[in-house]
Amino acid sequence: MEIKPKLTRRNFMKLAAAMGASAFLATYKSEIVEAVEQNKDYVHICWLNGSDCMGCSISFVQSVSPDLITILTEITVGTSGLPIALPDYMEVAHPAAGSLAEKLKEERWMKAPLKILICEGGVQEEGYCIVGQRDYTEVFREAAEVADVIIAIGQCATFGGIPAAKPNPSGAMGVQDYLKKVGINKQVINLPLCPMNPDHLVLTLAAALIGAMPELDQYGRPKAFFGKNMHMELCPYRPYYDRGIFKETPNGEGCRFKMGCKGPGVWTDCALRKFNNHVSFCNETNICYGCSEPGWPDKFSPFYKEVTSLPTVLGWDAGTIGTALLGATAAGIVVHGIKRAASGGKKEKKEE
Amino acid sequence: MAKVVVDPVTRIEGHLGITMETKDVTTSTGTWTLVDKAYSHSNMFRGFEIILKGRDPRDAYFLTQRICGVCHAVHGAASMQALDHAYGVTPPPAAVLIRNVLHACFYCYDHIIHTYLLVGPELGILAKYPPMVPPALGKEGIAKLGLGSSYAKCVEMQRIANEATALWGGRAPFPVAEYPGGVTVKLTLDRIAGTVGRMNQVWNFAVHTMYNDLMALVEKNEHIGEAVSTLLDVDFRGLQDVGPSYPTQLSYGLFPDPDNYDDWVKAQDGEPSRRKSAVIHAGAWNGDFKAFELGKIKEYVKYSKYSDECTGLHPKEGKTIPQKDKPGAYAWAKAPRYEDKPYEVGPFARMVNTFGLRWKFDVTNPISGETFTFDWKVLNPNSSVIDRVAGRVAQTILFATKAMEWAIELKQWVHDATATINPKTNNFSYVPDAAEGIGLWDAPRGALLHYTKIRGGKIENYQCVVPSTWNLGPRDDMGQPGPVEKALENTWLPQIDVPTIANTLYPEADIDASAFGLGKVKWGDALAVALKPLGLAPINMENGYNTSLALAIVRSFDPCLACAVHEIDLTIRR
Repeated sequence: MEIKPKLTRRNFMKLAAAMGASAFLATYKSEIVEAVEQNKDYVHICWLNGSDCMGCSISFVQSVSPDLITILTEITVGTSGLPIALPDYMEVAHPAAGSLAEKLKEERWMKAPLKILICEGGVQEEGYCIVGQRDYTEVFREAAEVADVIIAIGQCATFGGIPAAKPNPSGAMGVQDYLKKVGINKQVINLPLCPMNPDHLVLTLAAALIGAMPELDQYGRPKAFFGKNMHMELCPYRPYYDRGIFKETPNGEGCRFKMGCKGPGVWTDCALRKFNNHVSFCNETNICYGCSEPGWPDKFSPFYKEVTSLPTVLGWDAGTIGTALLGATAAGIVVHGIKRAASGGKKEKKEE
Repeated sequence: MAKVVVDPVTRIEGHLGITMETKDVTTSTGTWTLVDKAYSHSNMFRGFEIILKGRDPRDAYFLTQRICGVCHAVHGAASMQALDHAYGVTPPPAAVLIRNVLHACFYCYDHIIHTYLLVGPELGILAKYPPMVPPALGKEGIAKLGLGSSYAKCVEMQRIANEATALWGGRAPFPVAEYPGGVTVKLTLDRIAGTVGRMNQVWNFAVHTMYNDLMALVEKNEHIGEAVSTLLDVDFRGLQDVGPSYPTQLSYGLFPDPDNYDDWVKAQDGEPSRRKSAVIHAGAWNGDFKAFELGKIKEYVKYSKYSDECTGLHPKEGKTIPQKDKPGAYAWAKAPRYEDKPYEVGPFARMVNTFGLRWKFDVTNPISGETFTFDWKVLNPNSSVIDRVAGRVAQTILFATKAMEWAIELKQWVHDATATINPKTNNFSYVPDAAEGIGLWDAPRGALLHYTKIRGGKIENYQCVVPSTWNLGPRDDMGQPGPVEKALENTWLPQIDVPTIANTLYPEADIDASAFGLGKVKWGDALAVALKPLGLAPINMENGYNTSLALAIVRSFDPCLACAVHEIDLTIRR
């Protein structure tokens, strides 16, 4: 007999976070399929691109276990052969172009019983982004007004990202902010990171399929993915920090803090979940530069500057980076420095 | 004359629309509509160059990769080489090889995904070749009709190539491992083994699937040529007559030789150079090999929305004074020209500048020992849809081989931490106070230039001249259309939908669709079965015209609009 916790809307994200996309979808595939099967229809997705670079689309194509082809060809609705979920509109990969693309959005997605809107890229002032010969503000608003679930993916769609960095030449902002501005009262599920982690989207979509709303933090991010501090709770290089061993040169080894790693101010599960079939994440080859957080990149720039010496540091709110945490970090380094001095300066860890 | 507009053009990077003005030609078999003139509009602007101003010069490496999420790593490469140049340092051999491995793996991902997901579907339909058509009938369609078998495999293979990129760069898109004078990533046996194992799979895919798919297209090409020639009563040879642009082809080169890095740097210093020690050479091919010279690039604005005093200048002295309602102007992009001529950039340009008009090279898989000879005689010296695809296949095979060879070569430095960074830059505190640098690299779509000017340790000016401006830019002051505009001219716009035209090209009912409740059906009818449930039967029809060929042409250039459009930024705000 199979033993598994019963899947409920309440424990959905908890199980998802604990198991990862692969194991979760394998274990609960039948429940998810059952939830949508009664429709005899696939779940309709509209994937819009605003002030984006399509990096999140490409990141989604890196999805693994299940990969994109499995999602599109194996997890089907009943015996129809239709995939369980399918974009009716998606600029980067959809077969249709031009007027047919627009028509499919209007005739299929707009009329679907469950309309999922995925937004890649933020919304700019009028005149900076034209799609299908219409201003993107209009395209986006029309879709957002009817959408049942709005998922913003990547740093640009969630918090504005690089286009919104100083001096924000095109007046870009994240979709939640834009909805507020135009008076549409809808909750957006924010999946930041630049690019977003494909696991996050697959799991959030699965949640949407069974009608579960993930528990969100104050920035609209699912707590299951963005609830832990990278430096305090997850980073594999943390033991170096505790021993006062720092990577201080491009060819050194140790905790990345002194290079300018933004880990102490970052809440994301990159270090656990990793990218590209879980092979690596930024800290393994360089530094974390903070792309999960609101205010990126300005709050974290210059990237190669210790967080404690960043001029913007005092502007960080306690919710993002506690002053206590920063104080502890700074004090910690002093203490470690003293310890190292006292022990005659420990040699850098030997290369393996 | 009719006007045919496709907007949005999908399966490219960014927001693009194309407008085509038609003309009718009458032959003995009827009256046919062709493209007379074409115009491309880039539709989104973000403002990267303005955003970069005043930042730490090293931030540009991270930020410029976000110009394009499809061809991200190459912006990092051009940006980092501009920094190397500004710092006046060169990376040591092991660092050059690590960068080469990272970018070779990236290239394989990019060319694979473009060949199948972006440009492939129309080619598969045209050549009656199911493996390249998307798997619209799911798992069963793949198993029983082979519908989308290569397409599905491509999704797996591009992912594996990206995993190898991520081993060195942390993640892909947007790897981070390069630093002025070297790299920040640690050279480990783990990374070497992981790369070789993965790229061996990619190599096998490139040699045994991609190459075979290319040959399958070639095999059908004669039939396509004959069928269309008969139908239209014109002289049409096949895919080599679809989308030719110019005989002039520009490349900046790829993958420097670690033991001859000085040869690589010459081009950045402005000397005439072919970067012949690199895997892909630089050059300004005009029917014959010619050295590339940085000083010969100028940008024209007669049809761009800038004041006429900005015209004819080298990018380094470039002026950008916007004039939104300038009469006759239709594009935000400038028109870059080399020696005042339009040049195509991209896979075809890289191949002719390296190999000439016959691309022949031998590779040996260092793991299995299997050998393979790639041999392609260019079908149209002005480039074409099929020649561009062949260029991508050739480079995937070549770079997958090189990635493995370089990774194995790296073994000798595994225990030497000093091998991966120039001692002059082996600290995180030094940034030059005043310097400037040029980075020249080739993006998958073509020649890419980054220019950084540092004052007071910060970016004072940052400029990129990107491939999609070369290819998709507007007409210049001399009235010469940009390469894509040129390539679209005289393209047939059939007033027949996709399934019908497929039935016309392939009238025999020989597709066994019994698994789908049908008997033997024609190619077009089989396609209709796959397209209809998804609402795709009228695919590519605009205003009664079938734009499949036009779209295949545009996509064969692999347009990246996010790149092209950030030219605009300078314009609007200065």
